[in-house]
Amino acid sequence: MTAATMDWVLIVDDEAMIRENLKAYLEDEGLQVAAFEAVTPALDWLQESGICRVCIMDMRLPDMDGNTAIRILHQRYPQMEFLIHTGSSSYSLPDDLRAMGLDDDCVYHKPLTDMEPLATEVRVRAGLGEDRL
Amino acid sequence: MSTPLRPSRLCRLRFYPQAWSAALLILLALTGGLALADSGGVHQESAVTPDFGMMVRYVFWALIAVTGVAVAALLWSWLLGRRVAQRTRQLQRELSERRQVELALRESETRFRDVTEAASDWIWEMDENLRFTYLSERFYALTGIPPQHVLGRARWELATADSPAEREKWRKHQELLEDHRPFRDFVYQTGIGDRRGAGRYLKVSGKPTYDEQGQFRGYRGTGTDITEQVKAETALQESELRLRQIIDLVPHMIFAKDRYGHFLLANQATAQAFGLTVAQLVHRSHRIVHGVDEEAERMMADDLEVIESGASKFIAEETFTDHAGRVQTMQTIKIPFIAPGLSETAVLGVSINITEQKRAKEEVARMRLYLKNIIDSMPSVLIGVDPWGYITVLNQPAEQVSGLSWEAAQGRFFGDVFPQLEGQFEQVRQAIRLGQPIKTPRMTLEVQSELHYADVMVYPLMADGASGAVIRMDDVTGRVRIESMMVQTEKMLSVGGLAAGMAHEINNPLGAILQGSQNIQRRIAYDMPQNRAVAAAIGIDLERLNRYLEQRGIRHFLEGIREAGVRAAKIVADMLSFSRRSESHFGPVDLEEMLETVLRLAASDYDLKKKYDFKRIQINRDYDPTLRLAYCDKTEIEQVILNLLKNAAQAMTDEGTPAPAITLRTRCEPDSLLIEVIDNGPGMDEKTLKRIFEPFFTTKDVGAGTGLGLSVSYFIVTEQHHGRLSVISKPGQGARFSIRLPLRREALS
Repeated sequence: MTAATMDWVLIVDDEAMIRENLKAYLEDEGLQVAAFEAVTPALDWLQESGICRVCIMDMRLPDMDGNTAIRILHQRYPQMEFLIHTGSSSYSLPDDLRAMGLDDDCVYHKPLTDMEPLATEVRVRAGLGEDRL
Repeated sequence: MSTPLRPSRLCRLRFYPQAWSAALLILLALTGGLALADSGGVHQESAVTPDFGMMVRYVFWALIAVTGVAVAALLWSWLLGRRVAQRTRQLQRELSERRQVELALRESETRFRDVTEAASDWIWEMDENLRFTYLSERFYALTGIPPQHVLGRARWELATADSPAEREKWRKHQELLEDHRPFRDFVYQTGIGDRRGAGRYLKVSGKPTYDEQGQFRGYRGTGTDITEQVKAETALQESELRLRQIIDLVPHMIFAKDRYGHFLLANQATAQAFGLTVAQLVHRSHRIVHGVDEEAERMMADDLEVIESGASKFIAEETFTDHAGRVQTMQTIKIPFIAPGLSETAVLGVSINITEQKRAKEEVARMRLYLKNIIDSMPSVLIGVDPWGYITVLNQPAEQVSGLSWEAAQGRFFGDVFPQLEGQFEQVRQAIRLGQPIKTPRMTLEVQSELHYADVMVYPLMADGASGAVIRMDDVTGRVRIESMMVQTEKMLSVGGLAAGMAHEINNPLGAILQGSQNIQRRIAYDMPQNRAVAAAIGIDLERLNRYLEQRGIRHFLEGIREAGVRAAKIVADMLSFSRRSESHFGPVDLEEMLETVLRLAASDYDLKKKYDFKRIQINRDYDPTLRLAYCDKTEIEQVILNLLKNAAQAMTDEGTPAPAITLRTRCEPDSLLIEVIDNGPGMDEKTLKRIFEPFFTTKDVGAGTGLGLSVSYFIVTEQHHGRLSVISKPGQGARFSIRLPLRREALS
């Protein structure tokens, strides 16, 4: 994997403004962001480009739920790191996701009053931001 | 013997003078005649002188002859007299002796007659054929049996022998008589005679008589009528038997003992108690027949006390172990008495076995105590009253409430003892009249100037004769409070449910607002390289643009949007706290560490409007060193404590408390750990206190608080941690919030 491919961040969120705001912030932070409103186009894009290190996944999505999407992505791209960004207050991590290495720190609840912590986490996971921590 | 002799001696004395006087008379007559013859011759001398001398001579001689004869006669007569006197004396003597014998005989006869007539005995005789020949008069007088019924008959013909014993008796008697032996005191019952004479008891004694030649002539003896005696004896025996039967029939112990403990008398019950017969018991010592020495000594000491004092003694209860080892409880009375035939005082005792009564009494007492324990163990106040409202029973809670013991309250009107229940009298009467319970729910009472709630039930008592009612009062203040809390909680939960349902829908737009405003703020900043690059590309001076935005207040409005979004997000988040959560976030938490974290958080909590400055507040730490770990959801409890700290700080700042101080205190209680947040701020009035945990209740200015802080805290502590959150405060005296979390073993281990 090249450094360039490492920069890519995948955002799946059906709420356009959330998706776009996150994309804008992360891009301002110097990251390459691909944002999709559903899982299927995201998978299609991945199949095409095949490059992404970190994925920010919404839970409630039009084609499938975020947990299932993570399972599929993890199966296909075991190297991929996941952050969950959900509007549900009662969300809790399923055990199999925990087994993949996800923990409560990966879960971000909407609304984010400040996107900085999320951006930092993305940078860390993308292997870019150690110097900024 | 001298008296009858006296007349004969007198006779003799009289006899002798007579004889001598006769002789002298004759002599005098002779001498006188001579003298006369001389003197006459003198006077008649002239006429008779020649023959006179002759004549005197003749006469003289004649006189001499006569005198001689006379003397002879006198002598003879004297001799004769002597012999007569002698014979007379002899005769007199004989006569006197015979008279004496006759007199003695007559005296003897009289005596004999007197004796036989006066005696209660009679004399009887029978001939050699053993037939009655003689019966003295007393026989009829005493027995009323005419002698003709008896004379000529044998004794056994006078009696009826109808039993074998009787026949044997008579056979022996007949044998004895035929052997001519003497007998004494043979008793038999007559079977003859008239009504008066029949069935009389006769006692006879007799001995055989013999003539001079030693020939058996029959029997002679005495008899006596002992009918009255026999009857009296029989009556006495019957009376004794009857008394014996009576005392034996009495199931209680009746006994008499002397001072040495010997039984003088005992009834069947007494003997049985010692496992003996009456005969075996009497005359034996109590000490010997009684198996338990200690008891015997005690009882004998009582006996002695009664004997010595001469006063009765009542022993209400004493133990007595019978021969079978059964321990009985006796009630005894001991009375001093002088037994017939005894000079010393003895003791008469009557002992009643009260074991069963005692057991029954104890059972009743036990049952009473048991029931009392039951009603005492009930938390309700129970007051038993009669139909007129006078107290009959109080249980322990009732005693505590009234401050009066059952005994002291008994018989008093319940309204006087329980003024708070005075109004229930009508219910008491109605319950009794209708025969069904009457309930007054949630009656308000004032207890020590606090408002309390009580459920009051009046149950009628219909047990036979014991009518009345029981008033049951339960203080339901706690329950009412819990219920109101539950209403609160339900309210919160419904808020939580509502929030959960709409959170997703609200959070997304809120996210758009907040993230959007953040991006705007970032992208208008002139120090961001990307901004500069874009601005330069399109020819805009970023610095000037920023001045413009500044002057038009656009940054300020943006900040306003952002702040409003944050507040909205906070409300949603708080509302979401009202939903039940799993305990998955629970774990052991170092309490001190957690409190220090919260203090740091509070100190760094930046309030845009500078409503308070945490650095000005003095923090006192009063930690229980024994308390280390708490088992809780750390973030939740942190939120609660932070909330309390912020509230305290805000209140103190608002009121301008001169030396604001907050004390954080931890304590270990028996089943919970206590965290207290105590401030010296303005405190709260009762009205505020009552509503303080209600959702959306706030004393802060509109916009300064969500009104959910304390209700969320309350919810976290009570619902999520099953603990308690309480507050004590008075206006001007600060406030003390107490969090109590249940102690868990895993948290301490």
